[in-house]
Formats: sequence, structure tokens, C-alpha cells
Amino acid sequence: MYIPRSILVLLLIVYLLFLLSADWINQASGAWYRPFMVGFLVVLIASWSHREQDSDEF
Amino acid sequence: MNFEITTIITLGSGYLALLFGIAFVTERGWIPIKIVRHPIVYVLSLGVFASVWAYYTSVGNAQRDGYGYLASFIGISLAFLFSPLLLRPLLELTRTYQLSSLADLMAFRYRTPWAGTLTTLVILIAVTPLIALQIRAVSDTAYLLSPESAQGLLAIGFCVVITLFSILFGTSRKTGRTQYDGLVMAIAFESLVKLIAFLAVGVFAIYGAFGNLDELDFWLQDQPELLASLKNTDYFSSFHVMALLFFTAAIAMPHMFYVTFNENNGQRALSFASWGLPLYFLLLSLPVLPILWAGLQSGSNVPVEYFPVVIGAAYDMPLISMLAYLGGLSAASGLIIVITLALSNMCLNHLILPIYQPKANEDIYRWLLWKRRLLITAIIWMGFFFHYLPSQQISIEVIGIVAFTACLQFIPGIVAILYWPMANKKGFLWGLATGVLIWFLFLMLPLLSDADPLALTSINWREITAFSLIGNCIIFVAVSILSTSSDEERSSADICTLDTIKRRKRSGLVAKSTDDFVKSLSKPLGEKTATREVDRALKDLDIEEKDRRPYAMQQLRGRLEANLSGLLGPSIAREIIDGYLPYSIVSQHGSSDLNVIENRIEAYRSNLSGMAADLDNLRRYHRQILLDLPLGVCSLSSDNEIIMWNRAMEQFTNLNYPDVVGSQVIDLSEPWLSLITNFIDDDALHSYKYAFELDSQKKTVNLHKALIEKTTDPDSAHDGVIILLEDITETEILEAGLTHSERLASIGRLAAGVAHEIGNPITGIACLAQTIRDEYEDEELLNLASQVIEQTERTSTILQSLVNFAHAGTNKTHYEREIVCISECMAQAQTLVSLDRKSKELNLRIECGPEARVLGDSQRLLQVLINLISNARDASQANGEVLLQTQVIGEIVEIAVVDQGIGIPKAIKDRVFDPFFTTKQAGEGTGLGLSLVFSIVEDLGGDIDIISPAKEGAGGTRVLLRFPCYHGDPAGT
Repeated sequence: MYIPRSILVLLLIVYLLFLLSADWINQASGAWYRPFMVGFLVVLIASWSHREQDSDEF
Repeated sequence: MNFEITTIITLGSGYLALLFGIAFVTERGWIPIKIVRHPIVYVLSLGVFASVWAYYTSVGNAQRDGYGYLASFIGISLAFLFSPLLLRPLLELTRTYQLSSLADLMAFRYRTPWAGTLTTLVILIAVTPLIALQIRAVSDTAYLLSPESAQGLLAIGFCVVITLFSILFGTSRKTGRTQYDGLVMAIAFESLVKLIAFLAVGVFAIYGAFGNLDELDFWLQDQPELLASLKNTDYFSSFHVMALLFFTAAIAMPHMFYVTFNENNGQRALSFASWGLPLYFLLLSLPVLPILWAGLQSGSNVPVEYFPVVIGAAYDMPLISMLAYLGGLSAASGLIIVITLALSNMCLNHLILPIYQPKANEDIYRWLLWKRRLLITAIIWMGFFFHYLPSQQISIEVIGIVAFTACLQFIPGIVAILYWPMANKKGFLWGLATGVLIWFLFLMLPLLSDADPLALTSINWREITAFSLIGNCIIFVAVSILSTSSDEERSSADICTLDTIKRRKRSGLVAKSTDDFVKSLSKPLGEKTATREVDRALKDLDIEEKDRRPYAMQQLRGRLEANLSGLLGPSIAREIIDGYLPYSIVSQHGSSDLNVIENRIEAYRSNLSGMAADLDNLRRYHRQILLDLPLGVCSLSSDNEIIMWNRAMEQFTNLNYPDVVGSQVIDLSEPWLSLITNFIDDDALHSYKYAFELDSQKKTVNLHKALIEKTTDPDSAHDGVIILLEDITETEILEAGLTHSERLASIGRLAAGVAHEIGNPITGIACLAQTIRDEYEDEELLNLASQVIEQTERTSTILQSLVNFAHAGTNKTHYEREIVCISECMAQAQTLVSLDRKSKELNLRIECGPEARVLGDSQRLLQVLINLISNARDASQANGEVLLQTQVIGEIVEIAVVDQGIGIPKAIKDRVFDPFFTTKQAGEGTGLGLSLVFSIVEDLGGDIDIISPAKEGAGGTRVLLRFPCYHGDPAGT
């Protein structure tokens, strides 16, 4: 099975972000839109990992 | 809130008409294709997934689960964020094999029509609540806006209008699996409207209901129970299951499958959607919380799910309510249109066609079109009747969960398609049946029976979902391991599984030409449809109609199966293709089609790394050696199909690789057919100096063959033959030339010997004649003696010239350095040339003064002149004039041999000095004459030039020789 490296990087970053941001999101005094900021960050990284590449197609 | 019902109906109908107008305009090509096929449009069309569930239900979920409402958005986003794991390979599969639905995919992979039928039935049952959910949400919200209207009539009206539009949208064209740009554009537009409407309601909730963000925060500080529920972590218990449900729905739900795979414009669009769709859902999830809080603050008593519609009216902004309603209508109508289109195709292909098929004399396209229209109507109205069954007490969230949980049962089957080749149809069918049974008993039945409206919460739907999935997986794996897969299943697993590059064995087809294809397919499809489908497949593959190569025929068969699969579903398509276009050789699993393997590895190459990349490099190196080998290499399979045809073979035969590979040997043209078949049939492993004619030229080759050792196929004695072809035509000519040269040299030596032997008696005759002249006084006798002396001198001169010429042909490395008088040399050449009685008469004119002298080897210069005069004579007419002219220009002696013959064509002028190049008939010339002249002139320190035509506008040839002039003492002292 072939998985592009950039997707593995994305997987790792999403997992790390989840670990790091869970407490930050749930802080009592935290703004309600914090999860969406993390979401935007994930989308930003995903747009980088899915950038156009000359990869072969099956 | 009290809107006029006519306003709501007009708005709804107008909006749907607008959607249809967009589709119509797009189909007419009035919108540039660049816009229609833009990845953003694709992303927006995928927004069809954001149905009433995302639009209304998420608000209710947010109140109950806090941030847990994001689970559904995260689930679908994860499927796209990690699209290379599932979506991308599935996209390739569905595009290659024209699989237009999940049922097609399952039937294709598990090689049984039952997989398609069961999948369709389950999806049909699962999706009905989802359609009912849309109808209920539209009628509920319309009722909220216009409480005086009859809710039942609203639902009926909506169903009538949506049925009409679904038929108009989806069945206005006849063909099966082709992209429907109009529909995509309309769905993209409705997704945009939905997003804008929801964001507008969200912005209104913040700034209209609270004033600004700070005010919202202040209000939240006063609602500690709200903040606590928002940030509590209890929802994690169901968060994962919900995310998994929506992850699966991204593939299993028919509307998502349809848009993701059928309307896709390629990998680029999917890459864009991989982050574009998560962004879309992120934006869509953003206003949920402000809308919830604004609704709570307004004190509205309507169900929380419908807050988006009521908050506008609650804060005296009815326009916002109308906009929110429009967004909801958009979400519901988009989903219903796409889902019914997709489901109607599935039902047609997997429920109706396996039982009843149109007759060959019917118009199949028209028949299919009408059946689809009927099915669309039936599916929508089934949803309508279903929406009456559950009690009003059951929230739309519960109905949605039931629908999505059914789709979850397909995840083991989908994952196994790509990652588990051992999975088989028995495992899939039993696993799916188990999961669906648990789902039906514990989720669907309570919903239908209305026995316990809170059954889902009391029984815990999360646990039921988990049980059904675990039961499904265990049975699937166990049955697949314990039962055996058929050869066909293994072959299909090979095609679908990512890790393997194995392919079906090369197989010959009974149908040998496109005419045979049409003839065979006319039986089930009718001649008109068969011709149309074969033409379409030929066009898709860019294959010519007259092409008869087996490889092309196999490709055509595959394409026809894929195209018919798009039209009739994979089961029926396979049934037709297998039945009417059978293989002549039984196909076997696990063996190889080298062409397919080559192409696949080439396509996959940049993904290889480590040892695999090293092996690939090694493979390419060996392949390149074979391709670039200066010997012709051709390999044949055990059934005489041409597998390899290297470059040397291409050059020698003028047959290109793509035209030959895949052909049978018997398809080759002459002389190659005889050459190769005779050699294969011969027991000898080598055939030397095999001569044949190619384009009226004699060619000679050496042939060698080796049998490829048997590896897999038990039916054949070997796996094929390798043939090496060595072109020895030039070597053969060279050998012939050398033999001729050798023969000439022998004749020369013989002539010299004869001349020497004759010389002695001639000398004796001359002596006797001189004695008579000196000792007798008889006038008549003296006269006769003088004549004898004169003739013997002449004979001696001739003999001397012969001896000299014969000596010139020897391979001596040391040349004489003597003073050569050109005029004498020319006279000798004239004498020798005149001896050839078989040649044409020649008028040889010599213009040469005694001052023209060079330092060199007179015999070799003589040979040069004889060769040039001979050539001039051959090129001239009988009694033609040949001029030998000498000029002394400073330090150079220029010798010209000029004829008035046919001249030398420009095309061959550069080649006349090449050894063995001749324009004379075979046997008349060796092609060595001018080559020898060139060599001798160079050895003598001169140079040679050929001017043809000799004079501008006339024929003839002028050969110019230039040598350094000798100005010294003529005696050489």
C-alpha cells in the first residue's frame, strides 16, 4: 500500500494538535470559537499536504 | 410568524426552478466549461452531504452534546482529509470500471449479483428515513412559518414539486455513466445558498440578537449551565461512533458516492476537495452555537432543531427566517434530487434488470429512461409515506441516526475491497446480513413500531451500533477465512487490492474483430445498440475499427464491459460480456499479462521506494538492454502471441512495437510470417544465412531461438519462445565482394604468369625476325620481318601492361617512388581498356603534354585511370567520347576524366566512394572500384573530386584528380 508522505505528516500533525489543544479548548474561560481555530489550522495544513504533485495515478 | 402559504410555495417553487435553470444553462454550454469543471464547483457540489441533518439537527445536537455536534462534521472531513487512504483508490476503481454506485462496486469486487442486490436493498431501506427526514423538515419549517397551512398538504406539495424536478434533472439524458455538469452546477449553487443562508443567520444571531461578540460573551458568562454543557466531556462516549458513522457515509451514502466518484473531474479535483470540503463544513458548523444561543435567548418554544428558522422572526427580522427556510429547503431538495437519481440507478441495475431485461428489438436507452423515472417517483413517495410512520415525538436526529447506522454496515466490505484480498462474497454477504439484522431489530423496528419513542436513548443507540458493526466484522472475517474464494473473486480482488500488481492471464477471445463484437452483442442488445456501444468503446480507446490485434480486442472487451456496467450495472454487464464475448482460452488467476504489469509498474513507479525501487531500477535496466540490443529480439507466448519486439526488430522489419505487441504471429505480414513460423516449427535452435526478399532487395539473417522455461501454466510445454534475429545482409555483401576481389586477384596473377610465359616465345620470335632483317636482303622478306618485329613489340607492350596491372592489385604496403609520366600512363590505360572486347566501343581522347609528371607508383596510377575510364565507359552511350585531359597548374597536376554519360544522381553522390556501393546490376560490379581509386589517390598524396553534371545544364561526369607536380629532371638524375 502506498501512502504519500505528506498525508502521514498530516495524520501526525492532526493527532498532535488534538492532544495539545484538547485542554486549551476546554478551559473554562476560553472563547467558544477555539475549536474552530484549530479546525482552520488543520485545513491549512491539509491544503499544503494535498497540494498538486506529480504523483502517479493507478 | 405568519407568512402567507402562497409566498412560501412561490419561493420554494421559484427556487427549484432557478436550480433547474442553472442546470439547463450549464448543459447548453452557456457557462464556460472552465467554471463548470472548476474544483471549487466540485467541492460545493459535495456540500450536498450537508442536508437537513447538518442544517437543523446540528443545532439540537449542540444543545445536548456541546462540542459533540462537531462529530458529524469531523467524520466526513476526516474521510476527505485522508482521501489517499480510501477515496482516491476507490475513485480510480470506479472510473476505470465505470462503477456508478456502491452496489456496482460491491457486485464488481465480490463477483456476485447478490452483493449488488443486498447492498441496494439495505441502502434503500436506510435512505428512506433520510428522505423522510428531509420531507419532514421542509414541511415542519413551512408550517412554522405559516401555522395556518395544513402540514400534510405542505409535505405532499413539496413531494410533487421535488419529484417533477428530480425527473427533469436526472433523466433528461439517455446515457449511463457520464458526467452531468448541469446537475453538478445546480447542486453546487444550492450548497452555496445553504452556506450563505446559514452564515447569514449566524451573523444575525450574534449581531441581531446579542449586539456583538462581546455582548454574546457577557451573556454566556451569565449562563454557566450552557458553558458547562458546551465544554463537558460526556459526549466523548458517542463522539467517536458519530464520527465513524459520518466517515462511512462519505462513501456509502448513495448521494455522496454519486457526487464524489461519478461527477469527479480527476485526481486534482479530489485533492482540492480533500481540504476544500473540510473547510466548507467548518464554515457551516461555525454559526451553529450562536444560532442555538440566540434561539435560547429568544425564549422560543419550537424544537431546538428549527431555531435557524425561528430566530429571525423572534427578533423581528422575518427576512432572516425566510432566508433560513430557503437554506433548509436547499439542503433538503439537493439531497433528495441526488439521492433519488443515484438510488434509481442502483434499483434499476440491481433489483429490476437481474429479473427483467428489455428485449433486443426494443430501444434499450428509452426503456431504461422510463424505468428510472418511475423509480425516482417511487423512492420519493416511499420517503413521503415513511415520514408519517414515526411519531412526531421522535426527533429528526433519531431518524437520521437510524439511516446513517445502516450505512455503517458497509465499512468492512469497503475497507476489504482495498486492503484485504482474502475477503470473499460469502463473508461479505453473511457479515452484512448480520449487521443489518441487528440494526433492523434494535433500531429500525422500534422506529417503525413507535412502541418506545425513546428506545434509542434507553437502549443506547451507540452500543447497538457498535454491536452491529462488531458482529458484521467478526462474521465477515470468519466466513471469508473459512470459505474458499472462486478464481473470479481472486482475480477481482487482485484488481481492487492496492498491494498487488498481478493480473489475469493473457487470454484469446473468440471474437477476432470489431465486426465479430457487433455480431455477438447484437443478440442481447440489438444491432443498433451493439453498434453504438462498440463504436463508443472504440472511440474511448482510440482503436481503429480494422484493428484485429488480440491485445486491442481484449482492451475493447474490457471497455465494453465497463461501459455496459455504467448503463446496466456490473452484474448484467458481466453476464452479457461473459456470455457473448467469451475467451477462447480459459483465464487463470495468478498468472500474468506482461503488458498490463509493465504499464502498471510504469504508472506506479514514482511511488516505489527502498528495495522495491531498486528492483524496479534493475528491471528497467534489463529491459533497456533488451530494447537497445543491436540484435532483433522478439518473444512469443506459448500461444504464439507477440510479447516483446525490440527496437532493432522495429528498424529491421519496419513494424512498430505498438502495432505488433499483442498480435498473434499469424497476424504478421510477409515475409516475417514465413520467417518466424518456419523457424518456430523447425527443431533446430539456430538457422544461419536465411535469405529472403524484402522490397525487392535480398536480405540475409541468422536466427536463434530459446524456449522460455515453463513456470506456471500446466497446459503448455513451455512459457514461450525468444527469437533473436541477426541481420547479416551487409556482411554477406562484404564477403561476396571480398570473394570477387580474391577471384580477380587470382585472375590477375594468372594473367601475369601467362604474360610471362608468352613473353619468352615472343622474344624468340622477335629475335628471329631481327635475324632475318639483318641477314637477308630480299625486300619482301625484310618487309615481312619488319612487320613481325613491329607486332612482337606491340604484343610485348600489351603483355607488359598486363603484368603491371596484375602487380598493382597485390596487397603491398610499400609503394614505388618513381617519376611517372602521365601521358605514358594514359596510353597504357587506353591499351588495356581496349582489350575488353565485351564492353562497349569507346572513343577515348587523350590531351596530355609530356611535362605532366608526378612522383609516385606508376602501376597504381594506371589502375586509377583504368577504373575511372571503365566507369566512364559504363556510364556512356556506345561510341561515346571520354576525354582524358591533363593540365599543369603551378605545382599541381590536374587530371580530368570527362564523360558525357548519364551523370551521378545527387542522392548518391556522397556514397560513391563507399566500399561495395554500386548502382550496377548484381554481378556486374563489386562496388569497390571508386573506393579503391579514392584509397590509391590518398596514398599517392593527391585528392579526388567528382563534378556531376560535368557542365551546367548538361549530363556527364567530370572526375578531377590532383597530384603534386614533379618539375625535376625527366630521367630522375
